[in-house]
Amino acid sequence: MRQKKATDVFITLFLCIGAIISFFPIYLAIINSVKTQGEMFSSFVALPTKLHFENYSQAFDKINLLNSTLNSAIVSVIGIGGIVFCAALAGYKLSRTSGRLSNMIFFLFIASMLVPFHSIMIPLTRMAKNLHVSGSTYGLAIIYVGLGVNMAIFLYHGFVKSIPRELEEAARIDGCGEFQTFFRIIFPLLLPITVTIAILDFLWIWNDFLLPLLMLTDSTKYTLILSTNTLFGEYNKEWSLILAALVLTALPVIVIYAFFQKFIMQGIAEGAIKG
Amino acid sequence: MPVKSYKKYISLLAFVGPAFIFYAIFLLIPTVAGMYYSFTDWNGLNPNYSFNGLANFIEALREDPDFVNSLLFTLKYVLFMVVLQNVLALMLAVFIESKTRTKGFFRTIFFMPNMISTIISAFMWTFVFSQVLPQIAEKTVMKFLDQLWIGDPKYSFYSIIIVSLWNGVGYMMIIYLAALQGVPQSLKEAAHIDGATPFQAFRNVTMPMITHAITICFFLTLNGAFKVYEVVYGLTGGGPGRSTQVITMNIYEEAFSNNFRYGYASAKSVILFVIILIFTFIQIRVMKKKEVEA
Repeated sequence: MRQKKATDVFITLFLCIGAIISFFPIYLAIINSVKTQGEMFSSFVALPTKLHFENYSQAFDKINLLNSTLNSAIVSVIGIGGIVFCAALAGYKLSRTSGRLSNMIFFLFIASMLVPFHSIMIPLTRMAKNLHVSGSTYGLAIIYVGLGVNMAIFLYHGFVKSIPRELEEAARIDGCGEFQTFFRIIFPLLLPITVTIAILDFLWIWNDFLLPLLMLTDSTKYTLILSTNTLFGEYNKEWSLILAALVLTALPVIVIYAFFQKFIMQGIAEGAIKG
Repeated sequence: MPVKSYKKYISLLAFVGPAFIFYAIFLLIPTVAGMYYSFTDWNGLNPNYSFNGLANFIEALREDPDFVNSLLFTLKYVLFMVVLQNVLALMLAVFIESKTRTKGFFRTIFFMPNMISTIISAFMWTFVFSQVLPQIAEKTVMKFLDQLWIGDPKYSFYSIIIVSLWNGVGYMMIIYLAALQGVPQSLKEAAHIDGATPFQAFRNVTMPMITHAITICFFLTLNGAFKVYEVVYGLTGGGPGRSTQVITMNIYEEAFSNNFRYGYASAKSVILFVIILIFTFIQIRVMKKKEVEA
């Protein structure tokens, strides 16, 4: 019994230390973002004596917060919408059709999940330029559709198997066309996996850095992450300003995390285990 | 009969078409094009280029010490990450699972860093490493904290590992937690009644039940670690010099910031792809075999 107690204490201690390390950088970023530069250098760890929000108003302008957030939101919403629409259609059909062609297409989608982004980045940049999709937020969103459908198809493909075929047959007998059957009967039933896909893709697109960096040149089109990156490069030593910008950038995802924590964790676990 | 199969293809085309078009334009064609360019001396600007066979590959592996160093550095990083990330994530998951009241709290805290973009995490830690730790060292007895965490290649490798772990462990922990919840309570109780220590129960009852999750997490960490870019970009930028340059960064530099040798850079990216394929293939083969045995 004593040994059990000792293990218990060890576990608690381990978790507490881990939790402190986990939260420490976030804590530092938050408290130092409301200090003046001078107060900060006297102690980074101490709580601020007085709240200075000037850093925030400055960072707000410097990263063009509203505009950047809007850009990120446009890219994410269109990207996710496109992925869900295209992949649901394709994943459903590929799951329901047997035959060599269907299997081959499915395999092609799955195999491409292993291709690292750096292996396609050079031709992709050229392609985007030739098609005139680079340099715009909408173009960026469309590229995300192309890069994201494979995993979404994979997840839909697996999920569709759990839906009984009788439902479609019944709808068909009642005179529904194939597309009508899909949108009226099947798509609503896919909701759980759609939520999973939307969450995984949101975290990916919202937090992505390299693709926007390659595609966007005009700073009014920058996503939130990209604007903050630029600020970090320009104001190298002004930590209070940088930290305010970092907190502002991290804030939207933290808020979303606070509200949808359960769904996010479920989504990740499901996305992985289906794989 | 022919009419029916014709109809079947039309319907397949209508459903799969939209996804396939986007996929082909932005993923399939670039993949194939990248492989094609890797055998040429294309420089990205000149419309004329010629095939030069395996010359790019030979140059990359034989005459490009920067590339080889970045490759070795990446391999070292992969090794550390795959082991540490999985061990830590599994430990956290098991420990958290053993708690009843504080489970939700710890899960929330440990997963939170994963929400923050990798590049933003790297910037936050740059602050911690370059400003906060030296100050703490100065004010307290923890003098060992006063190092050039980012500027000294001896330490910057570990800084990169720390930030990567901080950012990535939560994700794997969630997968392990989900797997642990799938282990029936009755089995653990049975092991306990039979006199197994907690460690024995974990080793012989829990582990075999979650091998599937272990395979997935190894796959994810292996793949992710080879593609590391943002942590290094945000933290050290590959420096000092090129001492912490990872393979993806070397490719980027070759293609976009140096001399636009697209063909040569493509060859490097093909090498990366092949390495990932080989490692993934071996990993899946070995672990699937273990899964069957268990």
